Order: sequence, then C-alpha cells, then structure tokens
Amino acid sequence: MQALHQAFDLSLFWDYRAILLNGFGVNVLVFLGAAALALLLGLGAALLRVNKFPPLRWLGTIHVELFRNAPDYIMLVWVHFVLPLLIALALRRRVEFDPFFSAVLALGLVYSGYFAETFRAGIEAIPRGNIDAGRAFGMSERLILWRITLPQVVRRMLPEALNQFISLFKATTIVSLIAVPDLMYDVSMVTQQEMRPLPLYTGAALVYFLVIFILATGVRAFSERWRRKILA
Amino acid sequence: MTDVPRIRVVDVHKRFGQLEVLRGVSFDVHRGNVVSVIGASGSGKSTLLRCINYLERPDGGEVYLEGEPLGTRTGANGQGRPRSLAEINQMRRELGVVFQQYNLWPHMTVLGNVIEAPMRVRKLRRAEATALAQECLRRVQLIDKAGEYPARLSGGQQQRAAIARALAMRPKAMLFDEPTSSLDPELTDEVLAVMRELAADGTTMIVATHEMGFAREVSDRVIFLHDGLIEEEGPPADLFDAPKSERLGRFLSKYRR
Repeated sequence: MQALHQAFDLSLFWDYRAILLNGFGVNVLVFLGAAALALLLGLGAALLRVNKFPPLRWLGTIHVELFRNAPDYIMLVWVHFVLPLLIALALRRRVEFDPFFSAVLALGLVYSGYFAETFRAGIEAIPRGNIDAGRAFGMSERLILWRITLPQVVRRMLPEALNQFISLFKATTIVSLIAVPDLMYDVSMVTQQEMRPLPLYTGAALVYFLVIFILATGVRAFSERWRRKILA
Repeated sequence: MTDVPRIRVVDVHKRFGQLEVLRGVSFDVHRGNVVSVIGASGSGKSTLLRCINYLERPDGGEVYLEGEPLGTRTGANGQGRPRSLAEINQMRRELGVVFQQYNLWPHMTVLGNVIEAPMRVRKLRRAEATALAQECLRRVQLIDKAGEYPARLSGGQQQRAAIARALAMRPKAMLFDEPTSSLDPELTDEVLAVMRELAADGTTMIVATHEMGFAREVSDRVIFLHDGLIEEEGPPADLFDAPKSERLGRFLSKYRR
C-alpha cells in the first residue's frame, strides 16, 4: 500500500522538472535526428529496391534486411563501441563517437530499414498510369518523383509511418545505455540520489505516454482529411 | 512550305519478349487531320500510340514529328545516334496524350493537373498557366470543377479534365488511346462531343477507338490494324462501306447490330 502510494506521488518528479525536462529534450533531439536519417536512408534504400538494375535492387534489399532485423539495443552498442574500433583500424588512429552521435546513427539505421519498406510499398502502390502521364508530358524522372510519386506516397504511408515514428520515439529511451543524458539517464541519476525510484519511473512513463498519445492523435486528426481527398 | 507530315510513322516494330505486337507499321498524319486506328483488342492499337511518343521505345523503325526523328538524332558526323531521355522529353511535350484510364494525378485538383506540365515543363508562370488552364477547361466545359479533386468527378468528367490537361501543353498533335473504353455508355457521348469539337477546330489527332460511329464521322483517314500490321487504310467511307479486306468486313459486322 505504501509502495502504491509512493508510486503515484509525483511531487518528487515535479521537484526535478528542470533536469528531467532537459533530459526529455535530449530524447526529442535524438528522435528528430534519427527520424531525419531514417527517412533519408529509407527513401534511398526504397528507390534502390524499385530500381530496374538488379545489383542496385540487391543493395537495397541488403540494407533493409540488415537493419530491419538488427535489434535496436544491439545496434546501439555495436555502433558506439565496435564501429569506432573498425574505423580506427582502417584509419590507424584513435576514433571515438560522441554518445549522442552514436544514438542518432544507430536508431536512424535501424529505422531506415522499416521506413524503406514503407516507402517501397507506397511507391509500388502508385498506379503506373500516373507515371506514364508524367512522362507523356515531358516531365523528367526526377520531376515525376518529386511532383507525382512522393506526394502520393507520403499520403499513403502516413498511418504506417506514424506508427514507426512512435516506435522510434519509444526506442530513444534506451540511449542512456551508452550514457546519452536523456530522460531515463536523468531519472536513474536522481534515483541514486533520492533512493525513491517509484515516482520517478512512473513519472517518466506518464510523460512518454502523454506526449506520444497527444502528438499521435493530433497528427492523425489533422492528416486524415488531407489524406482522404485523393482516394475515391 | 513543303508538305512535311505533322507525324510520320515509318516501319515501327515492337515486341514484348516473344510476342511481336507491331510488325512494321507506317502511315502519315497531316496537319489538322484526324486519323482513327481501329482493330480488335490485342491488334496493337495502344502499343502503336505508346510508340508514337516513345512511352514504349520502338524496336525498329522511327517516328517523325514535323520531319524530326523522335528517337534518333543526327550527330556532327552525319551518323544517327539514339536520343537521350532528356531529348526525348523535349519531343514528347509536343504531343498531348489522353489515356484510357484518364491517369489524372489524384493528389492535385483539376486545375492543378492542368497547370502542372505547363508550369514545370514549359516553365510558364503560375498566372499564365492558370489563364491557359482555364481556357482549356472552358473548352471541355469543366471550368466549374476546377477546384475539385479527381476522385470526386465522374469518369466522363475525369476524361475531359485529362483532355484539358493535354491541350494546355499546346501540342502539335493529340494522341487518344481508347479514350472512351473505360466509360459507361451514357458518359461516352460527352467525351466524344469534346473530341468532335477539337477535330472541327483543326486539331491534329490520332485516335485509337472502338467507337465506329465517331471514327466514320470525324476521321480523315481510318487505319485498320490486325496482328501488328495495317490490314487496310483509307478514307472512312471506303473502309466502312466497302471494306476490301475480309477481316475488316468481319470486324465491322460485329459493330453492325
């Protein structure tokens, strides 16, 4: 009973709000960096996978399978501790990654595998005739990609992409593992000082839940009407 | 001014794997003329139209637009070399295409569809492109739907929007690939009416069609395609009233019921 009461007494969490907010800000930054990287690499891999040259298609497939099937936890450790060693061997000098950099790179790579598949499904769903029409009017392949294919792909992939953004945001909570000073890192630091883990972890859980719930609901509400216009 | 055909198709061949869809098709289309291409499904009508603007690259033969070969270009040494995609795009913009499935871009309004290529390809300013688009939409009697998305339009309206989109490029010729074949019969007439007006205005047109009434009434010449070859061609009165080929006679009899 005492423990239950303690778990929901969030005043301690509130007392440390400045530090914790700072940590949460780091989560948001890791998320934004990794999301941008994942979208960029994901689009690149998807374009490789729909390319007409088999070797490029294989390259795209390797990218997707390699990163989509790597657990984000292991990827994080590997990128932070192993990758610098490999680069150091190649360059014959000491290399170290900043934890923040490793976190963005690792999560960006893992999620680029997921985004590549989402992009690919979206690209393949565009009716062939849409592309034909662009070509018939003398549009270049790049113009067709930016003006015809991608605007439709974005609308089609949005619900699935939103789920992946949510997963990615949740995945940012593991970056304290390599000492990125995020919310969970701060929570464990404060816990060591206060010796009261329950309200701190409960508070962290609530913060994540509320932020994700409110943002996801908001994005869905605003995007749905815009998305539906193109569907018959 | 010599009489260079607007479009000259010379011995065009096209095969898909083992299947030889076009086996050497040649014909001319002069300025302001309407040529209808008729024939059974699978006779190569669509492929022929797609080869004319290089949506399919012919395996043999060539297409000339006002005497200029679409797919090859004479280099400094007098030798022909294949054109790059960018060069083919330059030629394509001179040909307006209307597809069987309309192929409007669903994420753009009707107006957005019509101004897209004039703005991005012809580099018109938005105001110019919009004025041009409005003129084209008036021609197909769709100006009141300019702000709608394609999904909200009937098939006939979508096809008229697609015609406006092609007209807005001010093409040297219009290619119609079975423009009414996806339409319910009651929507066919509104599209054919627009096409009649274009023909009357002197638009150069090639029309692949199953609408024999339209082909007979509007065409200057009719081409009957069978098995990738021109089986018979001539003025519509000759083909429809006195077909020389037995195949054409049989083909036409299916429409006389």
